[in-house]
Amino acid sequence: MSSFEDADTEETVTCLQMTLYHPGHQQSGIFQSIRFFNREKRHTSEVVKFGRNSNTCHYTFQDKQVSRVQFSLQLFRKFDSSVVSFEIKNMSKKTNLIVDNRELGYLNKMDLPDRCMIRFGNYQFLVEKEDGQSLEFFEIQFFLSKRPLLQENSWLPQPMPECGSYSSCVTQNNSPMEVGENDW
Amino acid sequence: MSLHHPTPGSARFASVPPQLEHDTSPLLVGRGPDAHLRLQLPRLSRQHLSLESYLEKGGAQLAFSLKALSHKGSVWVNRLTLSFQEQVPLGAINKVAFSGIQMVVRIEGGISLEAFVCYFHLSPSPLIHRLRPEETDERESVPQEHPPPGSGQGAPGPLSFLHSPLQPNHGGAPEIPLQREPLDGVLS
Repeated sequence: MSSFEDADTEETVTCLQMTLYHPGHQQSGIFQSIRFFNREKRHTSEVVKFGRNSNTCHYTFQDKQVSRVQFSLQLFRKFDSSVVSFEIKNMSKKTNLIVDNRELGYLNKMDLPDRCMIRFGNYQFLVEKEDGQSLEFFEIQFFLSKRPLLQENSWLPQPMPECGSYSSCVTQNNSPMEVGENDW
Repeated sequence: MSLHHPTPGSARFASVPPQLEHDTSPLLVGRGPDAHLRLQLPRLSRQHLSLESYLEKGGAQLAFSLKALSHKGSVWVNRLTLSFQEQVPLGAINKVAFSGIQMVVRIEGGISLEAFVCYFHLSPSPLIHRLRPEETDERESVPQEHPPPGSGQGAPGPLSFLHSPLQPNHGGAPEIPLQREPLDGVLS
């Protein structure tokens, strides 16, 4: 009991929940390196890289059409704010990155909205930020979607669905997520 | 980059090279072994701040932002005091102060998007005019700036660093401490 009373106050941790979709993922194993559902702790000073090269990237995709480093995410705080934010930067010379409706060229970066869709090539990533207090660590959690996350040309930020978050609506037990046309 | 510390002592800048080429990853400034620009000051954090290059939308030349990485010390940048994880974009000329160090960062455009070059100048004279004690994390008063010896000018500016022995002469072109040079290859 005394260790509980004496322990440092726990801080909640910001979590980036990323739901991944690619039309060919089941055939080609492009997500085989991703540990789904596992909350991975990262230090806030890390520049988290996504791409094909396992030597430089924290998260890799087994796909030759993915750049060696496709994009990066980095935590920061806006000036005079206690809120943890993320910045996304396109690291690919060949492929533009689309965040919601905004297109990023090579080395372009932008603040990552709290809920947004990231697209490059045939990849669709739905990202949702769960706010936390800690400035030391944050977490990343991946989910897999077997259905497209984006109806063609119809992504608009939408109110949260009744299940609580988009990520809790997607597959956790290999059952596909049904999304109606009007749900986006 | 021009660097100054009010307390004489050559060791604090002993690891500063005349120039440094760096890729597009963040350039770390601090006391620790991972820092690309290592400054020997006990009160400096191992990673105190970083400079990150990026491209503005529609831009053709690298832009830079500065991020504070120290838990304990703040970084004063162009009249803003940054604390841990805060960042600001940099302009053409930037005044930075941290742990008693004064740093002026001047940015000159170049063609390369793969890397940039830093030229370092160690200034015996203060670089920042009338830095108030509350604008440093050292809480020490900084004397009013005096022009570097031999500059012939009333206040430091880009022209005051033309004759630094640490800067190479490019045939008469203005020599700016932080330059983006066109490079033939990609630095890994």
